[in-house]
Amino acid sequence: MKDLFLVFKNLTRKPLRLFLTMFATFVAFLIYGTLTTFQVAIDSGVELSADDRLIAVNKINFTQPLPISYANRVKGLENITGVTHLNWFGGYYQDPQNVIVMFAVDEGTFLDVYAELIMTDEEISNWMQNRQGLIAGEAIAARLGWSVGDRVPVNSNIFSQADGSSAWEFDIVGIYKGEDAQTDTNSVYFHYDYFNETQSFGRDFIGFMGIRTADPQLNEGVIKAVDELFANTPYETETVPEKAFNQAFIEQIGNLSLILGSVVFAAFFIILVIVGNSMVLAIRERTGEIGVLKTLGFKSERIFVMVLAESLLLAVMSGALGLLATSAVVDLINGITAIQLPVLILKQEIILEAIAIMVALGLITGIIPAVNALRLNIITALSRQ
Amino acid sequence: MGLFSQIWTVVVMNVRSLPQRLWMSLAAVLAVSVVVAVLLSFLAMSNGFASTLGGTGSDSVAIVTRSGSQSELNSVIGRDSVNIVSTAPGIATDANGQPIYSAELYVVVDGIKKSSGTEVNIPMRGISPEGFELRDRVDVVAGRMFEPGTNEILVGQGVIDQFSGFDLGQEVTFGKTRWSVVGVFSTGGSAFESELWADARMVQDLFNRGNSFQTMRIRLAEPGNVEGIAEMIENDPRLILDVDTESDYFSSQGEALQGIVYFGWAISIVMGLGALAGALNTMYTSVASRAGEIATLRAIGFSNVSAFFGTLAESVVLSVVGGVVGALVSYSFMDGLTTATMGPGFTQVVFTFEMSPELFKNGIQLALIIGLVGGFFPAWRAARLPVVTAFRKVA
Repeated sequence: MKDLFLVFKNLTRKPLRLFLTMFATFVAFLIYGTLTTFQVAIDSGVELSADDRLIAVNKINFTQPLPISYANRVKGLENITGVTHLNWFGGYYQDPQNVIVMFAVDEGTFLDVYAELIMTDEEISNWMQNRQGLIAGEAIAARLGWSVGDRVPVNSNIFSQADGSSAWEFDIVGIYKGEDAQTDTNSVYFHYDYFNETQSFGRDFIGFMGIRTADPQLNEGVIKAVDELFANTPYETETVPEKAFNQAFIEQIGNLSLILGSVVFAAFFIILVIVGNSMVLAIRERTGEIGVLKTLGFKSERIFVMVLAESLLLAVMSGALGLLATSAVVDLINGITAIQLPVLILKQEIILEAIAIMVALGLITGIIPAVNALRLNIITALSRQ
Repeated sequence: MGLFSQIWTVVVMNVRSLPQRLWMSLAAVLAVSVVVAVLLSFLAMSNGFASTLGGTGSDSVAIVTRSGSQSELNSVIGRDSVNIVSTAPGIATDANGQPIYSAELYVVVDGIKKSSGTEVNIPMRGISPEGFELRDRVDVVAGRMFEPGTNEILVGQGVIDQFSGFDLGQEVTFGKTRWSVVGVFSTGGSAFESELWADARMVQDLFNRGNSFQTMRIRLAEPGNVEGIAEMIENDPRLILDVDTESDYFSSQGEALQGIVYFGWAISIVMGLGALAGALNTMYTSVASRAGEIATLRAIGFSNVSAFFGTLAESVVLSVVGGVVGALVSYSFMDGLTTATMGPGFTQVVFTFEMSPELFKNGIQLALIIGLVGGFFPAWRAARLPVVTAFRKVA
């Protein structure tokens, strides 16, 4: 206990230096915390994809269409518990830059396959009954200021109606929530029939199919069966687990984890250098004192531990503040509805990893001065004064 | 001794004594260099992307798309519209008096990104010989030109570099048709190099496009002047189209990575605050260790102004050295690095990181700010150091 007091006194003897060193460490952990929650949120699109859900797209590319008859033909295959089809609408609201992730779907089968979207029974039945009904996720509804009962026009940057207009009228009949806090609720869904009957070209085609299998273990067999069913037709399919599809989609943007990882690494590298140096300096300034402590009978090991404790305390205190600030930043970002951002959650894994890094940082920055103090010879120490 | 020569003497003295404070000084240099390197890497990324797309369009070519389509992929233009628009005023004509234009298709096929091994969107352009004329420079650098009316493909240089599946001589199957890659083309680093080119009519057949196209490119009689075409579109209710010069069309798409610039600056400024703390630490230590020296100089008649500027100069020198090192590191690792990302057309755009003197200046400015702020407060302390106390400390 006495040692801890000594450690604390040593740490706080130069308040300005302590503040600066802690601030640098704090910044690094703030960067780490914020970027890592982002990374986890981006990955959650992959993590949260249902294991028993497959995506069947046109083999040439997923932007190429498939005939609508395919959904019915897949339904007849074995080990399948649900098939639905979706079509990208290219929707935007008011401003062409205000893009909406929006699909025309088969309402009768959609919620069987995408069971993680939660709505009340009333909302579901309203959707089924209203041909122009549209359901929106709570995130997108908040962003656009939509609520149930609103009637809104949405434009498409791909499709147009027979009269040349690209605007469709919709009734918002339901706002769905996600099963998990990080389930994406940025998408909007409406009736395929309404879309198909009003649009002017490419009728009776769909974008892709969502297929639910009886068991993830049966995925491989189902994939083979679906793709074989349509082999050697003008519209061959490529069926993949949703997880793989989402992963590949993120990879199209680039190696985000490499970029974020490099930045975090750079931030830690900076503080490693700064903190490491000031620890060495702080201990060197106390050479004489350490000599005195040793003369008084303090064992070298005890001094070694005290020095390490000092650097550990420094790292853990500033790291903890950094995490605290991260959680404030995360709340701030989650409060933004003006632009589309993933839901950030400062998960326990991130906190545990941060604590591990704090300990590692404390040990690495403390080890050199601690070893120096351990080896310090009393006579040299006192004569250096 | 005049004030300036005093300051100069102290600055030189401080800088020459830097090796005595080697590790602390190195820490400050290193911290600044990492911050600058991070900033410049992000800026070079978005700069390269913008200049690839900015360099793609020509000012003397107009591009016509379906109104509101925003990208070539989403656009549709029927043959009849193409015919009407081709009669608009302001279009350059060839030797026979025919308007020079090219009606093109733009579809997406799968390729494999070499760096990740995953499937990505590669644009395939249906084009005619006139379309080649409308690009400022197209060179077939390997193999040969595709034969119109056959299932032959030319691949862009960027596609060959970044994606597999389209090597010269390779056969590719789309749906039920087989295509062979017969040549590689270059367009001097523009975004067209990220594309596959094939005969427009064959692409129409393969993708069931009947006799419709997606975009129309027109050689303008007068560079930058699309008014004749715009007027015609406005006055003809059958034409629900947009017209723009190709250079404007692509420049606006090049801003897609602007977010990276904001992100890069935000991260660098936050990291810069960390480096600033390091710089302050270094400089306060430096002032403390030079306390005796400063006091001696004051005692023999040097002014406190010289102590101030001496310390400030030391800090600035350290930061600028850090900034230059960071910029050079970023330049040597990032400049010329080729990669691909999802562009605004929902397809991959191959681009190269590009450093510029302008970016370099940004990096040095950031370093200077860290150096000035990080030096100011310690310099203030140095200037106000009471001579007597300083001597006492030494003793």
